[in-house]
Amino acid sequence: MEKIGAVMIAGGGIAGMQSALDLADSGFKVYLVDSSPTIGGAMSQLDKTFPTNDCAMCIMAPKLVETGRHHNIELLTNSSIKDVKGEAGNFTIKVTKTARRVREDKCTGCGICTLFCPIEVPDSYNKGMKLRKAIYVRYPQAVPPTHTIDMEHCIGCGICESQCKANAIEYAQSDEERELNVGAIIVSPGFDEFNLELMRREYGFGLFPNVISSPQLERMLSATGPYRGLVLRPSDGKMPKKVAFIQCVGSRDRSIGNPYCSSVCCMFAIKEAVIAQEHNQGLQAHIFFMDMRAYGKEFDDYYIRAEQEHGILFTRNNRIADVSQDPKTQNLILNYIKDGEMKSEEFDLVVLSVGMVFPKDAKNLAEKFGINLNEFNFCDTDIFNPTSTNIPGIFVAGAFEAPKDIPGTVAQASGAAAHASALVSGQRDTLVVEKTFPEEIDIGGQDPRIGVFVCHCGINIGGVVDVPEVVEYVKTLPNVVYAEHNLYTCSQDTQEKIKQIAQEQNLNRVIVASCTPRTHGPLFQNTIRGAGLNPYLFEMANIRDQCSWVHMHEPDKATDKAKALVRMAVARARLLEPLPKSEIEISPSAIIIGGGVTGMNAALMIAEEGYDAYLIEKTDKLGGIVNRLHYGLRGEDIRKYLTELKSKIDSNDKIKVYLNTTLENFSGFVGNYEAELNVNGNKETLKTGVVIVATGGKEYKPEEYMYGEHDRILTQLEFGELLNEGKVKGKEFVMIQCVGSREEHRPYCSRICCTHAIKNALKIRELHPDSKVYILFKDMRTYGFREIYYEDATREGVLFIRFDNETKPKVSKDGDGIKIEVLDHFIQEDVALYPDYLILSPATLPNEGNYDLAQMLKVPLSKDKFFLEAHMKLRPVEFATEGVFLAGLAHSPKFFNECISEANAAVSRACTVLSKRIMEAYSAISVVDEFKCIGCGTCEEICEYHAPSLVEKGSGKLVSEINKALCKGCGACAVACCNGAITTLHFKNDQILSMVESAAEELKRESSKPAEEAQTGASTSGAD
Amino acid sequence: MAGEASTKPPADSEHHEAQTPPPGEPINLIAFCCNWCSYAGADLAGVSRLQYPPNVKIIRVMCTGRIEPEFLLHAFELGIDGVLVCGCHIGDCHYISGNEKAEVRINTLKKLMDMIGIDSRRLRLEWVSASEGTRFAETVKDFKEQIEKLGKNKIYIAQS
Amino acid sequence: MSAIDELIEDTGAFDCVECGKCTSVCPVAEINSEFAPRLIVVKAQAGLEGLAKEKDIWSCLTCGLCNDMCPYKVDFTEFIRGMRSEAVIHGALPVCSKGGLLQTMGRIMTSPELKQNRLSWVTDDLKVAEKGDIYFFTGCTAHFDYIFEEREIKTSGILVAAVKIMNSAGITPAVSNDEVCCGHDLNWTGNEEHFEKLMEKNLEVIKASGAKQVVFTCPEGMRTFEFDYKDIAGDLGFEVLHISELILDLIDQDKLQHKDLDGKVTFHDPCRLGRHLGIYDDPRDMIKETGAELVEMERSRNKSTCCGVSAFATCEASSKQMQIERLKEAKKTGAQKMLTFCPKCWLHFKCSTWKKFPGLEEEVDIPIEDATIFFSKTLE
Repeated sequence: MEKIGAVMIAGGGIAGMQSALDLADSGFKVYLVDSSPTIGGAMSQLDKTFPTNDCAMCIMAPKLVETGRHHNIELLTNSSIKDVKGEAGNFTIKVTKTARRVREDKCTGCGICTLFCPIEVPDSYNKGMKLRKAIYVRYPQAVPPTHTIDMEHCIGCGICESQCKANAIEYAQSDEERELNVGAIIVSPGFDEFNLELMRREYGFGLFPNVISSPQLERMLSATGPYRGLVLRPSDGKMPKKVAFIQCVGSRDRSIGNPYCSSVCCMFAIKEAVIAQEHNQGLQAHIFFMDMRAYGKEFDDYYIRAEQEHGILFTRNNRIADVSQDPKTQNLILNYIKDGEMKSEEFDLVVLSVGMVFPKDAKNLAEKFGINLNEFNFCDTDIFNPTSTNIPGIFVAGAFEAPKDIPGTVAQASGAAAHASALVSGQRDTLVVEKTFPEEIDIGGQDPRIGVFVCHCGINIGGVVDVPEVVEYVKTLPNVVYAEHNLYTCSQDTQEKIKQIAQEQNLNRVIVASCTPRTHGPLFQNTIRGAGLNPYLFEMANIRDQCSWVHMHEPDKATDKAKALVRMAVARARLLEPLPKSEIEISPSAIIIGGGVTGMNAALMIAEEGYDAYLIEKTDKLGGIVNRLHYGLRGEDIRKYLTELKSKIDSNDKIKVYLNTTLENFSGFVGNYEAELNVNGNKETLKTGVVIVATGGKEYKPEEYMYGEHDRILTQLEFGELLNEGKVKGKEFVMIQCVGSREEHRPYCSRICCTHAIKNALKIRELHPDSKVYILFKDMRTYGFREIYYEDATREGVLFIRFDNETKPKVSKDGDGIKIEVLDHFIQEDVALYPDYLILSPATLPNEGNYDLAQMLKVPLSKDKFFLEAHMKLRPVEFATEGVFLAGLAHSPKFFNECISEANAAVSRACTVLSKRIMEAYSAISVVDEFKCIGCGTCEEICEYHAPSLVEKGSGKLVSEINKALCKGCGACAVACCNGAITTLHFKNDQILSMVESAAEELKRESSKPAEEAQTGASTSGAD
Repeated sequence: MAGEASTKPPADSEHHEAQTPPPGEPINLIAFCCNWCSYAGADLAGVSRLQYPPNVKIIRVMCTGRIEPEFLLHAFELGIDGVLVCGCHIGDCHYISGNEKAEVRINTLKKLMDMIGIDSRRLRLEWVSASEGTRFAETVKDFKEQIEKLGKNKIYIAQS
Repeated sequence: MSAIDELIEDTGAFDCVECGKCTSVCPVAEINSEFAPRLIVVKAQAGLEGLAKEKDIWSCLTCGLCNDMCPYKVDFTEFIRGMRSEAVIHGALPVCSKGGLLQTMGRIMTSPELKQNRLSWVTDDLKVAEKGDIYFFTGCTAHFDYIFEEREIKTSGILVAAVKIMNSAGITPAVSNDEVCCGHDLNWTGNEEHFEKLMEKNLEVIKASGAKQVVFTCPEGMRTFEFDYKDIAGDLGFEVLHISELILDLIDQDKLQHKDLDGKVTFHDPCRLGRHLGIYDDPRDMIKETGAELVEMERSRNKSTCCGVSAFATCEASSKQMQIERLKEAKKTGAQKMLTFCPKCWLHFKCSTWKKFPGLEEEVDIPIEDATIFFSKTLE
C-alpha cells in the first residue's frame, strides 16, 4: 500500500500542537483533531508554569497562533474519531465534526453574540466559577476563535443570529463527516482530573463551599479567571488568610483505584501557593504532603525558595484524613500531626491537589485504534519505545502515556512526531503547500505611517497601566496614523485585525506595545508579512515585563513610563527600513555528540528520517552509562536492547560511527556547521546541518558514608552489576539515598535514584527472599507509575527510614562489618543497623566536558552545569542557537524512556531544519559602505566570526566585505569602524539614537519651562 | 573580576555636583541591555514581579559590543541622569567577546567624561545574565540611589 | 532672497565661469571622479532642490586648494560651509567619525553647567597661570588622547611641549580650565548655533585672563578665531598668533636658548595653517632653527595636499588614498620624519601607518611628529 505524507493527531493540547508544528514544519500535512471547540488543552487554563513562573498563556499563545495559522495544519475541532482502517503508512479515518451552529469561515470571533445571548451557564473553562453564555468561545485567545452554540442550553431565541454582523450563525448546520487519509497517527488526548465528587465524604468537596480544587485555584489566579487574579472564598467572596493545600487527592491511593503518583501536583501546589501569596497580600499558604516530589530540573531550587523566601509552610508526612467545616464561619478544620503531636487548625480555604486520571475518551480511542491501555487506562508503552503503542504507525504523546509535566509532554510530542515522520519520510513534501505571503509592498519614498497596538494582556498590563490613556497619548505622536488597545494582542483574532488595519490604513510601520520581543516579536513580524509588509518594519515596546509587572504599586508612574516606552518605539519605528531576505542552503546531515543510548537513538532516527548521521563517541564503545545497566524496573532486558540497538546502528549505511573521537573545533551556522574531529589522534573535518548534544552524565563518586573504605560499601550501579553476576551474599542491606544530591552545594534532585534503589531492593528480595532491606531517604520520588513499585517494595517488606540534611545517617566500621546509625523520624528513636552491604544512591553529575563543549558550541550551561535549553517549558530539546539541539542526561538527570523520547524529540526538531533545502537567513546583519571603507582591516581583526574580510576591489583598493551567512549582526564591527563605514542593519546609529533622544523627551519639556515651574510640575508627579 | 573595575566610582572626585537632589525632580535613567542576557534578565525581573524604580527605560541592542560611546555621551548631553549598560557576564557573551569590547570602550568614555565634567559614576556597566532578574532589579535600585546622591545631571544641550 | 542665493552672493560663487581649474586641483576629485567642486556651485546657481542633501557637500575637505587656484577668487570652502548649515536644516547629516562622539563633546561644552577637568595635562614642572599677557589656547587636543588611544599617539604632548618652550623663554602662559572647544568642527558640520555659544564662552575666558596675545598650537583653532570669531564678534581685543610665530619672535629676542638637532625632516602644511591662514614661512623657519635639514615634498606650501579628513566628518575611502599618497611623497624626500603642525593631520596620517596595509608597509613607513614637540626637543 502506498504511504501517505500526512499525519493525524488526536488531541490539540500542548502535545498535539507540538507534534503538529514539528510535522508541518518538516514537510507533512497534519490534521489536528480535537473534541473541544478549540485547541489549547489544559495548558490554556493555567495561570503560571513552574519553575520559571512564566505566564502560561504568554508562552503558549505564540504556539497556538502558529498552529492555528500554519498552512500545513488543518484543524478539526469539535470533532471525534468514528472509525479507523488501514495500517502503518496508510490509514483511513472517519471523523465526525459536530455542528457548532456557527460558520468557521464567517465568524470573526468578535463576541457580539455573547453580549446579547440571554442564557448564562456555568463556564467549564473557569471550572464553574464564572458564567458564560450559551453561545461562547472557550477562552479569549482561543484558536480558532470561532464561537460555538451550546445546544444543551440554547433556547433557540435567535437573538445571536439577528445580532451577528458577519451572518455566521447557522442554526440548521448539521454534523459533518470527514474522511482523512494519513500515513501515521499520534494520540495525545491528555488527561482528566480525578473526580473530586468521590472525595465528598472525606474532604467535603461540593459540600463545603470553601473546599476547592487546585485547577479552580489556578483559574482564580488567572487574570482571565473569575476574580481577575485574586483568590477569594467562594462562600463569602472574602480574601482568605490561611489556605491549606492537601496533596495526593486522587493519587497514590489504592482505595480509589489510583495508586500511581500524578507527577506534577507537588510542584503545581508550590507554584500556586507562591503565586497566591503574591496576588493576595497577607495570604499564608500551608502545604500538607507525603513526599515532596520536586524531581525536575531546578525544581528543588524552587521548592527551597518557596519555603525560605516566600515563607510557604510545608508539613510533611501528612496525608490529611478529613476536612470538617465550622458551620458558622464556613472555615475548615484540618487535623494533622506535627512534631509527633496531633494538631487541629482552622483554614479559610482548602485546596485539593487533584490527581490526573486517564482522559475520558481513552477507552473509545483504545477501541477505535486498537491500542492497549495499562491497568489505569493510560496508554501502554514500554521503556524502549516510550511513544509507541502496540499498533505500528500509531504513536502516543503527553499525559495519556503517563501523568507528566509540560516539558516532558513537549519532548514526547516531538518524539512521537519523529516516529510518525520517519514512517512516511519518503512522502515528505508531497502533500504540503508552500508558505506564501503576499508580495511585499514597496514603501520606498513613503512617509512613515505607523500603527500602534497596545495590549492589556488581560490585566497583566491593563491592571496597572492605564492602557486607553496610553493609546490617546500615542495618537498625538508624529507619524502615528492609527492606535488602539486590545485585550490580548497576541490572540489569533487580533492578528487578523492587525493585518486588516495595516491594509486599510496603508500602514508602513507597525508597533505592538505588549510584552517581550524575545518571545513575541516573530509572531507579529509574520503577521505584518501577511499584510505585505517587510518583517523589519515591526517594532515592539515592552510595557509588561519592563513596566506593569515591575512597577505594580505605582500605576501613574507606570502609565507615564509606558507612554515613554511606546514613544521610544515610535521614534525608532519611523527610521526602520525593510531588509532584504537572504537564503542559506542546508546540508542534510546531523552530528550527534555522545554515543550513549540517547545519541544512538538520535542517530538511528536521523537515518530513518533519511539524513546522514555522524555519531561521535569519545570512548572506544557505544552505549555509555547504559553498559552498566542490566534490567529495567519491570525486568526489561536492557542488555538485549543495547545489543540490538548496536547492530541496528552498525547495519545502517546512513550512520557513520566515530569511536575514540572528540570535537576539537566547531564553527559555522545553522545548516552549515563544520566540526573538526580528533579521531584517534587524526584530524577529520565534517560538514553538517545540525548538531545534537547527547553527552550524557555520570555517576557521582561519593566522598561520604565511607565509600571506598569498605569493600561492601558500593554505589547502586556497582551493586547492580554485582547483583546481576550473582555475587551478592548477605542478609541485610541498607541503601542511602540522595548521596551528593539535594545538598547545599548540589541542590538538585538526581531524579532516578529513588526508582533505582526500589528496583535493586525488589531484586534483592526476589533473589534473597529472607533478606532485610532498608532504604534511608529524604523523599521517595517514585513519580508516575513508578509509584506502584514503591508500593510493591513496602509490601515486600522493604523498610523505609526518612532522614533530612540535619539528621544524616552515620556510617562507621564495626569490626569487619558496617554500622549505620540513623534517627527514625516516625518513632523518634535512634536506630542502629549492621548490614552486609551499604548501597549508596549517588547523584547524577553533569559531564566535566560540558563546559568546554558549551564554549565550543556557544551554548549555555545551567547553574548546575547541565546544558541549558532554550526554554524550560516549551523548548526542552533545543538551544537558542539555531540548529543545535540537546537530549538526555546532558539536559538533566532522567530515566531511560525519557532519554529516548528526548533523543527522538531532538531529531524531530532537527528535521524542521533539515527538511528544508533552503532556509531564510537572518537579515539584520552588518554591511559595509564601500565608498567610506578605508580598508584598515579593524573589522576583520575584531570579528569573532570571521565575517568581514578585506578584498581587492577595482584598482587594488582594499575594501572590507562581510559574509552574510557568517555575520551574526552583533554590531561590534560597526562600533570599531572609526569612520562609520559599517552599518548594522536594524540597529543603525540613528535608530538607536532616536530612542535615546525620545527617552529624554520629558527633560526637553521640563527645560523649556522656567525653573520654578518645572520644579512644581515635577514634584506633582513625584508625589503620586 | 574584570567587570568590577569599571563599575567602581573614580577614586578622586573633584566634581562639584550637588550632593542632594532638589526634592521631587525625578531621576531619568536609561539602560542599554543586550538581547541575550540582560534583556532576558530584565524580562525575568518582570516575570518574577521584582519591583524596581520606574525611572529607567530600557533600550535593547543585540550586544553591548554594538554600543557606540556616542550613544551614551549623547544621552548625557540630553540631560539623562544616568546610563546603565548591561551585558552578559564575561565569558557568556552570545557573540563571544562583545562585552569585553564594551568594557574597554566604556572605560575610555568614563575617563573622557571625567575630563569633560560629567561624573563618570553616572555611567555604569553591569553584567546581568538571563537568570538574574533579581540582579537586574537590584542594580536599577542601587543605581537610582547612587544617581540621586549625585543629583541631577545639569548638562542639558537643546538640540536644534 | 533664499539662503542659498545669499550664500552664492556672499562667496562670490556667481563669478564662477566654469573654467574647471578647481576640479583639476581638487584632491577629492583626483580620487573620486564623480566629485567636482564646480558642479556643486553650478547646481546651487541653478537653484536645484535637494542640493543640500547631496553627499558631495560632505565629501569636500574644505582644504581650500580650489580657493587658492580659482582665477575669480570664488570662496568655495565658505560656500560649502554655508551649504552645510542649510543641509543640516534640511535634515541631511554627515556621517561623523566615532559615531559623532566628538561633535557631541563640542556641543556639551556649550553647557553653562560645565565643570571640566581640562588641565589634567599640566604637570608639576610646567608653569601656567590664570592670568597673563599671553593666553595659550590649548584646543581639544588634550582630550583626544583617550579617544584615539589605540592610535598610539599622545596629542597632549603638543601642549606640554608648547608650555615648556614658553616657560624656557620666561613666559608663564595663561590657560583656563573653562576654555572650551573652539567650535571649528561644529562650524564646519553645519552647526552654527552651538558654534556661536562656544565662541562666546571662549571670548569670555580669554577676556578674564587679561591676555593681549593668544597663542595657538592648533591651526584649526587659530583659523576659527582669526576668521570666524572676527566675522561674528568683530574685533576680538587681542592678537592671534601661531606658536611658530611666537617661537621665532622669542629667538629673535634671544629669549629662547636651544641646542641643535640632527637629521633630515620634511614638513606637511596643514590646510588651516597654510592656505587658510597663509602661514607658510614661519613653520619652515622654526624648523630650520632646530638645525635639522628641511626637505620639501613635491607638493608643498599652497599646493600641499590634504590629510584626508576635516571636522571629523569626511573620512572616506578617498581619505586613505590621500594619506598614502602624501606619506609616499614624504618618504620619497628621504626625510627621517614628517613634521606637521596640526594634531588632526598627525592623527590622520597615523591612521595610515598605524595599521600595516598590505603592500604598503615600506612605502608609507615614515614617522610623523608634531612640529611643536619636535622643536621642544631642542630644549633638552
